[in-house]
Parts: sequence; C-alpha cells; structure tokens
Amino acid sequence: MNLFQTVFTGSNQALQAAQGVVKQIIEEKGRDHKVAFPDTAYFLPVIYAATGIKIKTVGDLEGALDIVKSLIVEEEKLENVLNSGLSTAVSAEIIEAVKYASQENPYENEPGIGFVSDPIIRSLGVPLVTGDIPGVAVLLGEAVDSESAGKVIKDYQSKGLLTFLTGKIIDQAVEAGVKMGLELRVIPLGYDVTSVIHVVSVAIRAALIFGNVEPGKLNDFLTYTKNRVPAFVNAFGPLSELVVSCGAGAIALGFPVICDTEVPEVPTCLLTQKDYDKTVKTSLEARNIKIKVTEIPIPVAFAAAFEGERIRKDD
Amino acid sequence: MDDKILTADKATAELISKAKNDGVETVWDRQQIMKAPCGFGEKGLCCRLCAMGPCRISPTPGKGAQKGLCGATADVIVSRNLARMVAAGTSAHSDHGRSIAHVLHMASKDGNYTVKDERKLLEVAKRLGIETENKDMFDLAHEVAEYALNEYGKPFGKLTIPPSVPEQRRKLWEKLDIVPRAIDREVVAIMHSTHMGCMADAESLITMSLRTALADGYGGSYMGTEISDILFGTPVARSTEANLGVLEHNAVNIILHGHEPALSEMIVLAADDAELLKLVKEVGAEGINVTGMCCTGNEVMMRHGVKIAGNFLQQELAVITGAVEAVVVDVQCIFPALPELAEAYHTKFITTSPKARITGATHIEFDEATAYESAKNIVREAILNYKNRNKEKVFIPGSKNHATVGFSNRTIINHLDKVVNSHIDPTGTFKPLADCLTSGVLRGAVGVVGCNNPKKVHDQSMIEIIKTMIANDIIVVATGCAAQAAAKAGLLSKDARRLAGKGLATVCELVDIPPVLHMGSCVDISRIMELVGEVAKLLGVDNCDLPVVGIAPEWMSEKAVAIGHYVVASGIDTWLGITPPIMGSEEVVDILTNRIEEMVGAKFFIEEDPMKASRQMIERIELKRRRLDKKMELKDLSMEEAAAAKE
Repeated sequence: MNLFQTVFTGSNQALQAAQGVVKQIIEEKGRDHKVAFPDTAYFLPVIYAATGIKIKTVGDLEGALDIVKSLIVEEEKLENVLNSGLSTAVSAEIIEAVKYASQENPYENEPGIGFVSDPIIRSLGVPLVTGDIPGVAVLLGEAVDSESAGKVIKDYQSKGLLTFLTGKIIDQAVEAGVKMGLELRVIPLGYDVTSVIHVVSVAIRAALIFGNVEPGKLNDFLTYTKNRVPAFVNAFGPLSELVVSCGAGAIALGFPVICDTEVPEVPTCLLTQKDYDKTVKTSLEARNIKIKVTEIPIPVAFAAAFEGERIRKDD
Repeated sequence: MDDKILTADKATAELISKAKNDGVETVWDRQQIMKAPCGFGEKGLCCRLCAMGPCRISPTPGKGAQKGLCGATADVIVSRNLARMVAAGTSAHSDHGRSIAHVLHMASKDGNYTVKDERKLLEVAKRLGIETENKDMFDLAHEVAEYALNEYGKPFGKLTIPPSVPEQRRKLWEKLDIVPRAIDREVVAIMHSTHMGCMADAESLITMSLRTALADGYGGSYMGTEISDILFGTPVARSTEANLGVLEHNAVNIILHGHEPALSEMIVLAADDAELLKLVKEVGAEGINVTGMCCTGNEVMMRHGVKIAGNFLQQELAVITGAVEAVVVDVQCIFPALPELAEAYHTKFITTSPKARITGATHIEFDEATAYESAKNIVREAILNYKNRNKEKVFIPGSKNHATVGFSNRTIINHLDKVVNSHIDPTGTFKPLADCLTSGVLRGAVGVVGCNNPKKVHDQSMIEIIKTMIANDIIVVATGCAAQAAAKAGLLSKDARRLAGKGLATVCELVDIPPVLHMGSCVDISRIMELVGEVAKLLGVDNCDLPVVGIAPEWMSEKAVAIGHYVVASGIDTWLGITPPIMGSEEVVDILTNRIEEMVGAKFFIEEDPMKASRQMIERIELKRRRLDKKMELKDLSMEEAAAAKE
C-alpha cells in the first residue's frame, strides 16, 4: 500500500473506532449525557479550534463524526492526506472524550496523565516563549529496547525539551530509570495511541491562549503550530495504518515525524532514522531546533528540566 | 488577416498588428497565403526520393494508388519520411555538439575559450574513462574533446552511453540492438536505408530511427551540453526577465538568435568591451542591451541571466519593434524571411556561420580562432547602426515577466540539499526528489519541450498544459521555446507556486524553486534524460517505471522529431501536440502509439487539444504510480524474503 493510501486507511479505522464508541455511549448514557475534559475552557479543544463548535454532550459528538468524514477525501493529493491526518486527530479526540464521559477518571490506573489541563499549559507558556523549553518531543510506540528509549528521553531532558510519551515507551522509560513529571519535563500521556491527542490539544490550546487565534480558523491554527510550537514526533516500532495517519496529522500541524523503521520518506516531514544515537540530532535538525549547549563537566545531568526535582529521603 | 486569435501572448498580438500597419509580412501571413496544406504531404504519403516519382499514395485504403512506382506502400513511404526527419534532427543537434567539441579542442589558458568548470571537466573525463591524474587541465580538455569528436565517426564499437542510463535500460537497448554506433554513422545509415530500393519495412525503419535518435540524445546533445558547461560554466540559479518588453528605448539592442553558445558567449563578453562602450557613448546610446531568442538565448540566459526577448514565432516581431540594431544569428530555426524584413527597418541581420548562409544577410563570419575579435566586429556593426534607428517607428511592448532560471542538474541538487537531514542522508543526490515522487507529495514530473507552430495559437497550449500540470502537483521541467513561453507567462517565477497544488507548492517553498524549472536549450534535454535516469537508479527501477512523461505541445522542427524518438526510446511516454506526418499509415501509427510500448516501455500519444492531452498525461502518470507502488512492494517483499532466507 502506498503512503497516502495507508493514511486514508488509518483515518477510516480511526473513524470507525470513534463511531463505535460514540454509538455505545449514546446507548449507555443517552444523548444528553455531558462530555467534557477536566479543567479546560476550550471544550474539545481540537474540534473547537478547527470548527468553532462547542461540544458539550454525547449527542454533539455525532456532529463531530461528520467533521471527521468530511475531512477524509481519498484522492491522492497532499492536502487530502493532511486533512485525513487531521481527521484522525479529531477521531482520537472523540474517542478520548468518550473515555472521560464514561468514567470519572479514565487514567486513574495508568502511569499516563491523559488530558493536560489549561493551568498546566499556561504554566508552560512562558518557558516556551522564552525558549527555555526549546522544543516539544512527542515519543510514540515502543523503542527497540528500554535502554535506547531511556537514552533518547534523557538526552531530550538534558537539553531542556518537553517530552511526551505515548504507548509502551512509558514502561520502557520507567525501566530505564527516567524520572517523570511535569517539572521534570517528561510527561507520560497514556498507553493508547489515541492519548497522543492530548499533546496535540496542548499545541492547539497554545494557539488559542497565547496566539489569540480565533476558533474556527483552522488554517491560522496550522500556521501558528507550524511557526510557533517547536514540536516533533518520534515514532518507534512497527507502524500501524492508524499511527501513520496520526503522523499525517502531526505533519499537517507542521511537526516532522521521525521513525525508527523504513517508511516512504518525505523530505523534512517524514524521515527514517534507525540509529538511536542519532535520533535526537536528527529530530532537532528536522524541526530546526538549535540548542546552545554549554557543557559543564559534572557527573550528573544538568538542565532546567531538573529544577523541580525533589530529593526524597530514600534517594 | 482575419481576426482569428493567433497568440496567447499580449506583446506578440500587439506586434502582429504593428506588422499589419507597417505593411510587412509575418509567418502568419505566409501561412494564410499557403492555404490548406497538401493532404498527401500532411499524411506523409508523398515520396520524392527518386526520379521515377514524385509518387503519392491515396489516403483511402483500397482506393486509388496504393503503391509508389517501385512498389513502396504507404507504410514504407511514411516511415521513410519520418526516419529522414529523425536523421535531420539528429544531425542538427549533433553538428552543434561537434562544433562545441571543436571549440573545447582549441581551448587554452589565455585563449578566447578557456575551461570555466574544471569540476565538470573532471567528471566528464572520468565517465569517458580518461586518466585525469597529474594532467594539465587543458591537455585533459583536449583529450575529452578528441574523445567526443571520435564519437561521431569511430569505425568500431558503440557510443559511450552515460552512466545516468539505468542498467535495465542499457540492457534493453542492447537486446533491441538500438545502442548507437558512431553518431554520424547512424545518420548516414538512415539516409542509406531510406534510399530507393533499400529498407521497406516500417518496423525495422522505426527501430533504426530510435537508434539514430539515441545517438542524438546520449551522443550529440549530451556532449553538446556537457562540453558547453565545461567551456562556459555549469548554470546556477539566477534571475532574469522575459518577453519583448526587455528591449530598451535608449540602448543598442542586439538580439542573439540561433543555437551555438560559442558565438553568443563571445558577444556577451564583447558587449562589455571598454572600447565598444566608448563607441556606444559616441553614438548617443546609454548602453548595449544584449537579449536572446530561442536556444542560444536560453544558453546565455542560463549562464549569464541575459534577458529573453522571445521564442521562435517572435523572431520577426523583434525586428518589427523597430528597436533592434542587430539580429545576430548562427544556425537552426532562423527564418530566411528575416533579411527582407530587416530591410523594412534599420535592423542589421547578421549571419555568422558558414553552415547557415542566408541570401540578403550581412555575413560576418564568426571565426572561433579569433572569436573575441569576430564578436567585437559584430557588436560594432550593431552600435554603429544605432543612429539609423527611426524613433517614430519604434514600439516596444510593455509586457515582460520575471523568471528564475539556471536549473542545471547540479543546481537542482544544490537546492535539494536544503531539505536533506544531515544525520540521515548524504547531500549531493536526487534522493529528496525521488522521495517526494514515491511518497506521492509530487504526483509526477513532466518535461515540456519543443517549438512554436503557427498551426496552434502561439504559446497557448504550452501555458495551459503547464498550468494544469502544476495545479495537479506535477512538477514541470522545461527547455527550449516551451521554457521561454513559460518565462513570458510568469511561470518561471517563484511566485508561480501559488498556481501549484499543495504538494508541489510545499516542495517549491521548502526547496526554494519555482514550480517550473528551466533546464536550458534543446540540446539540454539531455539534462532531463540524466535527471530521470538518476532518479530511476536511486529507486532501482527503469525510466519507464517512473511517473514521468514528456510533451512537445507546439513542436515544429525535425529536431523535435529526433528528441521525441530518443525520449520514447528512453522509456518516457511522449505527447505530440501537433500531428506528425504519419497518419497515412495505420501501421506506422500503430507502431508509434501502441506496439512500441512492448519494445521500450513507452509510446507516443498524439493529441492536439491541450486539455485532453493534460488529462491523458495525468491518467498515465497515475497509472505509472500504481504500477510503481506494486513494483516497490514486490521489491520490499523479495528483500524481506531474502533476509528471512539468510536467517
């Protein structure tokens, strides 16, 4: 299957999954059941930003499914592929929203934090603007081994990047002894691939909060994220159609995707880097993130990311 | 003349009406006087290859004469006529290449001609298997020149095929026995075989034509381009302007028209000569404005940014502006109507080549041995003619457009390097382009080439086709008069990316290029062949597997016929926007537009309607994409299997 068809396939899979969960929750809870993410003023942020539509109930989600459908046009053209990627993002947001609609705290029993609240985003705003956080790394999937995963994450951490983890790489990070937490700038999102939407939602809300972009002006959002949010994706392990279509969504937002497997490469957008020692350098160059490093020869890692670290008694 | 629309170009239309007012004739007037073309000639059914004839075959099968006096059928006559067109086109390009090789042979450190691109010289020497170690640059240049010259008439062996040809393609040519021997020999072979009583089999003759055309594309033209780069520098991206609006009111306007850069390069140099600039002041002009037309215009524009006055059908109109002091020509595509036309104005029409004397012209023979002095003499003539300009008769149209030009393959690679991630790939390859093609961001690539032809509305087809292609994310490379049509229409400007589809526009933005790349003159189509071959090699496939097509929307010359043949033989589908004189033979039409695909993996398409041709090209590109997807998948599978077997 060619790259574009893979994206369309993944988007259709995401749509089907979204349709399934929406149907189920309507049956279980009824159309008027409330849908909302915790601690946000922006409803379902991705949908709100893209369309200006404020989704409040489970019944509203049916309308959101139409947005997804309208974004999937299976003619092999770049704009269709990017839109298809965005459709997957919307599907993911729907699926995640249903999680929050059906349970009080769906991420209770997971290391992932799920939805990122508005206050957290506001707290990240200043260091992002000042360049104190030089970039946002979104790590997805499962690296070849925990050691390699840990090396990559710690490298980002030492460079002050904000790193989000989705999938099995969370467990690998734990195994490799990576310390996580907002103040340490390593944030596990969740095991499901759809939880990656919570970082997309961060970028989108950055445009709403700091960029003052008007809801409904999708192109303005895409321009903002491309120019102002220095994010990129590292996709590890074999890629399903769904993940590839998520990647297309990232590319639509202006975020390059760097994989550790063979993919049909698109210069500056979709790249293969099998050598884990080069993952970080490759990613930073792809997103044009330049870090001035003054290396201090000390036996422990040194970076702003460790500022909030607490030394516990046991340590 | 009636009010029929003759051109898509405003400047051209304005000057056609000035011609009417001035009472001078143009190609369009002569076309009208010609009335309907002869149906036999138009279908290729007229033979005058011996004195038993002329013979003509009835275009209706089974009715009227079905054979010539010798018994030659429509198939034989049509294919012979076509083969001779190929031979003529090949000889034109190849003789051009030969001249350039001779110039390289006389290059010297302090001479008129020197080596501007040593790196290219080393590259070419290497590919020809010439030892380069510890050699004086000029000794090496002379060796390369000698090698090139020998390619024209070596008695044994085959033409040295450049390494840009994929292995599969080379083997296919060998299997079909269409690897050219010596360049001149192939032309002679066609002249022999088309003689009365010789070859009388359409398919065999077409096969010969392919071999002859390959001698052009990978011999004469290829060498012409490479050696021109060695002598005058490999083009780099630069800005220029195009259309008759580039002529200036207060400058001595010189138009360079023709093909060989040996002349035009020297004129450009001479136009900066201090002595001549003094003379310019004396005659009261503000400067010398050298502009180009047709392929010699393309050559100096690619290398020096010299402005383009216009393309083939505008050559008379340049004179009709009344603002041109001299039209300086060498060879090929020069209207013999020009001397008479020039007489109606103050313009000096100057021929320079012993290969193309034109009655009524001022002939100042250009001698390569004293090139600079020759060029100075020519420029001096132009300057002295400035005082004869009748300002009342001057009309310079306002139309001109900005263009970014100079896209040699090296320049393209330099631009592609901008998007290479230094931690993944080495720079200096076409890989980013190959990636954009395989991923589908670019749907394909099309070469738009060829001439103008008054059978069509001037420039219209080319512009329509180019616009349709770029809107559909198909990148366009252009050469010759087609590239100039694009330049005049503003399509070579980086701004033109707004007319491109999202995929192409994104690529243009990232790589910093216009959506249409000007790759040079007609011999520079060899650059396109090199580009396609290198991309195919990167992907491990043959040219014919790529989503790449070519089109000559308004072709006219026999050179275009030769080009079409070598492009098809290279595995690239080729559209002809003007019906060639073959329709009298169903057999020949069937071979060229159908059966030839079984031989070389590509065929001709004849479609005069530019919109229909565009649709067909897009369909074909998408078909090739689907086939390529499958091919790449199979390759991946077999690689996986091989890996599994190893384990």
